Amino acid sequence: MSANRYEVLDAAIDQGDSEPVSGLPQLDRPPSPWETSMQATCDCLSWRGALDALERRQAEDELGETLYAESPVHARSTLVAAHLLMDRGVITPDELQAKMAEVRARLEKA
Amino acid sequence: MRRKFQLGERVRVRDATTLFHTRTQAFTRGRTGVVVENRPEWVIPEDEAWGRDDGRTEPFYVVRFRQRDLWPDYTGFDVDTLETEVSERWLEPAGKEQR
Amino acid sequence: MSSDHDHDHDHAPIQEAPEIDEFEVLETAVRELSIEHGLFSAEDHRRFSEWAQSIGPTGGSRLVAKAWVDSEFKQRLLADGTTASEEIGIDWHDPTGTGTPSDYTYFYVLENTPEVHNTIVCTLCSCYPRPVLGMSPEWYRTPHYRRRMVRWPREVLAEFGLHLPPEVEVRVHDSNQKSRFMVMPMRPEGTDGWSEDQLAAIVTRDTMIGVALPQVSWTASAAPSEPTSSA
Repeated sequence: MSANRYEVLDAAIDQGDSEPVSGLPQLDRPPSPWETSMQATCDCLSWRGALDALERRQAEDELGETLYAESPVHARSTLVAAHLLMDRGVITPDELQAKMAEVRARLEKA
Repeated sequence: MRRKFQLGERVRVRDATTLFHTRTQAFTRGRTGVVVENRPEWVIPEDEAWGRDDGRTEPFYVVRFRQRDLWPDYTGFDVDTLETEVSERWLEPAGKEQR
Repeated sequence: MSSDHDHDHDHAPIQEAPEIDEFEVLETAVRELSIEHGLFSAEDHRRFSEWAQSIGPTGGSRLVAKAWVDSEFKQRLLADGTTASEEIGIDWHDPTGTGTPSDYTYFYVLENTPEVHNTIVCTLCSCYPRPVLGMSPEWYRTPHYRRRMVRWPREVLAEFGLHLPPEVEVRVHDSNQKSRFMVMPMRPEGTDGWSEDQLAAIVTRDTMIGVALPQVSWTASAAPSEPTSSA
């Protein structure tokens, strides 16, 4: 597993939506639609054998408390799945960058 | 497969370190508990991690530990317990209680 | 980029449109690239999304409420949670026919008694009985909860406002293997004559994780006068 952060993920990390919470019960919020969609993506990746769910979960623990510690827990699946897929060369940082720009443009137009 | 352990039997989780994928938590290794339930024969995680559908199966058990036996400085009460599932290969007989 | 952004540049841009969530951008990008690379199909994703949207703690609440009013169902539920779930339309084998890749299909319901209070955690990852409780709350997935629940359960319960007397055994279930667990809380006093729907309303997600107890007062005013109720 790569020990370095992928720069392409910085845009997401730097938006700083991690608010300090005083305790566990305060860390409770309804999931956004994209979180549910990400969960489905993770299920599909595992189901079809591209990225095992347990492996991803363990990487989330490891990277979530180091490289991506500043991001909220609910965003870890997204960051770590992207990280692992890039580690494995399944997707490249460049194509992710390009795809993110494309998605951003689409959302801005909407 | 004949089950090696009976309900109510005291068992110790083997204190093995492993390079292989396992689901046996470090905090239970070397600790003694009691078999409280049988579980089916499942593919062991050590094989499952390699994506093998034909992995080795073996009986699983629910083992109940006293919290005090897991954590010597446990801050709760004596009655408190923890249960978890363990595959047969991770267990060894612990004999009668000696206290 | 649209062309209507040609206003003055000497003041900070006003954010009329809702701010774009970069995590949403990343999620969409990862999903679309995965599909383009053939890691899974759009149809796979649709199937899992639909499933994810269909699940929630209501399923668990209904199981508990039904068990409270029907002792034979309760025995079936405690004996085989997976099969008993089907009686209220929850199939643990959805959405693939063999369940999801991380939930397995062995479901056990843990009955609270005056002597034993059950609570669930997964120290290994964050296994959760999704078919009956939906997506896990964020705190359940934190290492903070997972590490401490096995080590200092009473402190964690206290954080949720739950203080149990010393003689009640706090039994933590670490679902590190194939089984998934859900707590069946005790039916509280003062709920005699309530309908299943009324009872289900007080069986909240947290009571089935074991970090809370059902409170009659939560719905005391609403429950008995619920218009659709036949009780």
